[in-house]
Amino acid sequence: MMNSDSTSAAAPDARQPAIRAVGLVKRFGAVTALDGVTFDLAPGRIYGLLGPNGSGKTTLIRLLTGMTRATAGSATVLGVRMPDRANLARIGYMTQGDGVYPSLTVAENAQFFAAAYGVEDAAQVADALRLVGLADRSKMIVGTLSGGQRRRLSLACALVHRPPVLFLDEPTVGVDPQLRVQFWGHFRTLADAGTTIVVSSHVMDEADRCDELLFVRAGRVIARGTGSGLRAEAGTGDLESAFLRFAGESEAAA
Amino acid sequence: MSARRLRAIVLRVIAEIRRDRPSLALLFIAPIVVTGLLTFILRDTTSPDVRVAIATEGTGPAAGQVVTRLASALTGAGMTVTVAASPDASRNAVRDGAATVAIVLPANLAAGRDAQIALVTKGLDPAGDGAQIQAVSSAIVGSLASSLGAVLPAVVHQTVYGTPSADPMAPFAPAIVAFFLYFFVYLLTGVSFLRERTGGTLERLMATPVTRGEIVTGYTLGFGFFAMFQVAILLVWALGTVRVPAIGPLPEFSLGLGIAVAGSPLLAFAAVLLLALGAVSLGIFLSTFARTELQVIQFIPVVLVPQFLLSGVLFSVDSLPAVLQPLVHVMPLAYAVDALREIFIRGADLSVTSLQVDLAVLAVVAVLFAAVASRTIRRDVV
Repeated sequence: MMNSDSTSAAAPDARQPAIRAVGLVKRFGAVTALDGVTFDLAPGRIYGLLGPNGSGKTTLIRLLTGMTRATAGSATVLGVRMPDRANLARIGYMTQGDGVYPSLTVAENAQFFAAAYGVEDAAQVADALRLVGLADRSKMIVGTLSGGQRRRLSLACALVHRPPVLFLDEPTVGVDPQLRVQFWGHFRTLADAGTTIVVSSHVMDEADRCDELLFVRAGRVIARGTGSGLRAEAGTGDLESAFLRFAGESEAAA
Repeated sequence: MSARRLRAIVLRVIAEIRRDRPSLALLFIAPIVVTGLLTFILRDTTSPDVRVAIATEGTGPAAGQVVTRLASALTGAGMTVTVAASPDASRNAVRDGAATVAIVLPANLAAGRDAQIALVTKGLDPAGDGAQIQAVSSAIVGSLASSLGAVLPAVVHQTVYGTPSADPMAPFAPAIVAFFLYFFVYLLTGVSFLRERTGGTLERLMATPVTRGEIVTGYTLGFGFFAMFQVAILLVWALGTVRVPAIGPLPEFSLGLGIAVAGSPLLAFAAVLLLALGAVSLGIFLSTFARTELQVIQFIPVVLVPQFLLSGVLFSVDSLPAVLQPLVHVMPLAYAVDALREIFIRGADLSVTSLQVDLAVLAVVAVLFAAVASRTIRRDVV
């Protein structure tokens, strides 16, 4: 339902990867934030980028959304090489910060980002607010909302244009457990409707809600698989131990 | 550039300022208060209270006679005069505050050009001292001339443009209007664009198909909208005057500064608006180098105060040291001040070349700064 609209041009082809990274490298001066990342992500699935703070998750998302240019390698979203301004109309990006205007109302924020994405149908704004449960607060000034409500608005602003690809950078930070469950419910609804979702997190207990996980450490993807698959491969009972096992292996290899 | 996206940005900027009551007050009330205060001070400066202590280094009846004549002349000019017993006593009178100026006549007053009359002031307040010295010296010259049997002719001031105004605010008003607009528009744009950067909304905006040009143009139009009102209100306040008749215990008073303007107020409006558009881009540009709102304010001494000093707001551009003269030509404010003085005092219209140059420079600066500002909004930068 969320991606079956006319603005999101070509529907993602199920045989083509929705997102492709080939040898992505990003250096900031002497610091290498991303050190050769290559993967294909299939449409309509939820991918979890898991790793500690500073491991390169945000840099990876910013490269895939075209917010910054790669030092080497290429990022392709829905078949279009990033950065590409027009392609941004098919990508949703929920930043780590809320990134909403505190002096505007809930509806004004959603309408503004809808207009920025070129959405002309007012019903889409209402739909997005309804999805995150803010429809009855649309006239409230954002500065007066609770942190959780602001987070929900931030999500609504990222999907107001019904993008086939959605990047969520630590969407559940500072969100209470009840809202967290709701968020994951939304993500699953969107994925079932065909949206490709990339969620970054450093909270391992959220990871099992993803279809597939990518462990990120020191700018590299050190393992990839389903939660149960990774646990089995590492021979551990929980993802944290699995992560540490893979991290140790990659360090030994390097 | 998409008209729809541009419209969304303009409306958003306007909605944000409209909800920000303190900023609105800053935009509209502060310039009125400050210009009103300045006008009040400049127009109502009462002639200085001059208390003179006269002493002479000379001895004998002749010296005493000069002192007496001078004392009566100064008293006639409305000054309080005391005759001190000695030069030291007169200096002490200034030191104690009993007198504001001591006049010490030399023993050789009759020697003509070698004679020096000393005027002694405290020296703590140069501007105040200057007014005192001026008042006393003209009285001394008049008194000495008449004692020599001469009558001094009157000196009158005439101007090429307009008539020499008795209103001390007239030459200041154009400069002050321009400066305040520049100042407040820069401050508001700088702070609100910084919020856009630090609040993460710029990052988010750059993740949409919105272009940098649309952002800068949207900001310019949005703030330009408020600047338009600000200029209109400030001009009506500065140029107009409304007499409010006495009601009950309230005495009659007038609203507005009633400053004379020889040229078209609409042309003045256009000139200031061009300056304001440049101030928007300046605010966006400088917000790149700031991390906090305080830092936007810290740019004021670096960017705005030199413009204030070098643009003829207080000090005439011609009287600036030669080394600083070239700098005047790179100050946008200088062109606006010049344009407004041309319009206010000279009554210049668009056929006057110097006004054409001023307006052209302001327009080029606005466009150039907008281009530079949009370069500072990189997709790379949070």
